Amino acid sequence: MPPTILLTNVSKHYLMPRGRRVVGLDKVSLSVEAGQFVLVEGPSGSGKTTLLLTVGGMQRPSSGQVTVAGYDLIALSHSKRAKFRAEHLGFVFQMFHLVPYLNVLENICLGAGRKSDAKAQARVLVDRLGLADRWQHKPSRLSVGECQRTALARALIARPEVILADEPTGNLDPENTNRVLEVLASYCDEGGSVLLVTHGQEAYGHVDRRLRLENGRLTELKLEG
Amino acid sequence: MGIRLLLIGLSTERIVFRRTVCKLSLNYLGFCQMTTQIFNTDKALGFAMRTTVLLIWKELLHRKGSFFLAASVLTAAVALCVVVTITEDANQRETRRVTRDIGFNLRIIPRGTDMEEFYLSNYSDQTMPESSLDKLARMKNFSYNHLVASLQKRFLIEGHRVLLMGISGEQAPPGKKKPPMIFSVEPGTLHVGFEAARLLGVKKGDAIALGEKTMRVARAMPEMGTVDDIRVIGLLSDVQEVLGLKGQINEIKAIDCLCMTADKNPQGILQEQLQQTLPEARVVMQSSIAEARARQRQTSEKYAAFVLAAVLLVGAVWIGALAVVNVRQRFGEIGLLRSLGYGSQMIGSLVLGRAVLIGLISALLGYFLGTWLALAWGPEIFPVTAKAIRAMPSLLPWALFVTPLLAAVASLIPAAMAVTQDPAEVLRNQ
Ligand SMILES: Nc1ncnc2c1ncn2[C@@H]1O[C@H](COP(=O)(O)OP(=O)(O)OP(=O)(O)O)[C@@H](O)[C@H]1O
Ligand SMILES: [Mg+2]
Repeated sequence: MPPTILLTNVSKHYLMPRGRRVVGLDKVSLSVEAGQFVLVEGPSGSGKTTLLLTVGGMQRPSSGQVTVAGYDLIALSHSKRAKFRAEHLGFVFQMFHLVPYLNVLENICLGAGRKSDAKAQARVLVDRLGLADRWQHKPSRLSVGECQRTALARALIARPEVILADEPTGNLDPENTNRVLEVLASYCDEGGSVLLVTHGQEAYGHVDRRLRLENGRLTELKLEG
Repeated sequence: MGIRLLLIGLSTERIVFRRTVCKLSLNYLGFCQMTTQIFNTDKALGFAMRTTVLLIWKELLHRKGSFFLAASVLTAAVALCVVVTITEDANQRETRRVTRDIGFNLRIIPRGTDMEEFYLSNYSDQTMPESSLDKLARMKNFSYNHLVASLQKRFLIEGHRVLLMGISGEQAPPGKKKPPMIFSVEPGTLHVGFEAARLLGVKKGDAIALGEKTMRVARAMPEMGTVDDIRVIGLLSDVQEVLGLKGQINEIKAIDCLCMTADKNPQGILQEQLQQTLPEARVVMQSSIAEARARQRQTSEKYAAFVLAAVLLVGAVWIGALAVVNVRQRFGEIGLLRSLGYGSQMIGSLVLGRAVLIGLISALLGYFLGTWLALAWGPEIFPVTAKAIRAMPSLLPWALFVTPLLAAVASLIPAAMAVTQDPAEVLRNQ
């Protein structure tokens, strides 16, 4: 089976005023199989978010090849990439980015795109993520843990091949952090691939691989324990 | 396209942006189409549509402040337009009524009149039968407000020259009852002009002998500074008797609505119409009066149009600015939707649909508010024709059409901003 995510020699430079260039990614090659839970770590400014944006088709690399879920992202048009995101990708952010005026269920359904059985799917997820008695609440009345679980459900509802998570546990306490990681791990068990950016070591027990970015260069680390 | 000019030099993304503005204008039509498809059987599309409508509606209810502000601005603009339209109508009516007192527009005189003599003496040397008045009044496509027949001739009273004039009762168009524009004269009485009264040395109540007929002075007129000052006015039949011209008149004066149209040659048209019904007459238009009236009317219309345009422009600019603020406010939300793969059409529809919805609500509120204001204040501004001020229900469909369209056009730039927003920034600005 071909890898879910395949990056070949991907570089990204940001052009600054007066011809200065900032390195985002530097000749990154990466292959992630279906079902793999991959941790990406590295100091601030090392290019972690840039990597996720590139895989998510929200940023064109300066050079290199990006193939995700069988799609050559560089060849896809703007609107095709949007469609690709809706069907094959899930995002989880540190700040959740829930729509403030929609309740939990409606926020989750946003991730379903045009799928018509969204409501039923959302209810299943609400139960699974322990939000059953919260589904009518707006984000402002949720705890941060509940917010992140809602965002997770939104990423999961379309059953994407890949979930990209940028420091999703950055604002969470250990218990909620663990819960989020467990959900992501079980999603990988069902065949999904996760790229998780995080600073802490809490994830070591859940992930299959550890990658490190430094100045845009990617290296694979050994998984301890 | 003006909007496009505005955009030049906006940002590095301006080309995309400009293309987007154009695309979005087409999108507005698409949106209207989509709205009609809410109940479409196509499930996937119906779902997307429902999501859009749900997002628009919930956002409006959530950000009540900005909804209220936008709706208020637009409601005020619509209300003002309604007020201006209703009062401009009232203004026209009032002006017509007030300027009526300036005098007559048309002088219909016997065909054979020597015009040189007519202008020198201010009356025709010929006469026509009094029945011409009835014929004129009954003429089909001759629109007038008032008709008065008169017989006028130079006359010597006790060696003094005066203009003796007899006037008929005033004729109003059939079915219309209008208050008389000029004073009515009682049989056997005279209204004596200022100069004539001075020359003859008469005052109210005095008797004057006109040939064999003795008449009483009903009124000595104040000084007018016009030919009226040497006029002695009596009832038509009395004057006909005095002048020995039974059943004859030499002029009909008329206020004709035709004169107030912007039509190039109302006189020519009238002339033609008269030719058939009243071959014995010809028409002279007092064009200075007619022109002044037409010009006043046009000025007033132009002014109202200017005010309307200004109000709409200001309203549109405000709506556009508020929509920009709204889009800025929703930076995260829009970025999120893009990262979830929602297309430009949907993001654009969110902004335009919101504008359309606010437009519809404002149109409804503005129409009723404006009507109420016009009905409440109009009668004070236009006391003479106060009773004629009425609501104009025909404005409602217009408001419901124009306001959402205007709001959508004003929101094209913010919609383009939303559509071209880079979703990557949401991930970055955590
Ligand atoms: N739009 C941009 N323009 C210019 N430089 C950029 C832009 N986006 C990112 N960069 C630079 O690219 C580098 C990588 O940024 P990136 O956001 O990927 O880092 P990161 O590893 O996610 O950092 P953090 O842990 O702080 O989130 C940084 O030096 C950043 O300043
Ligand atoms: Mg980052």
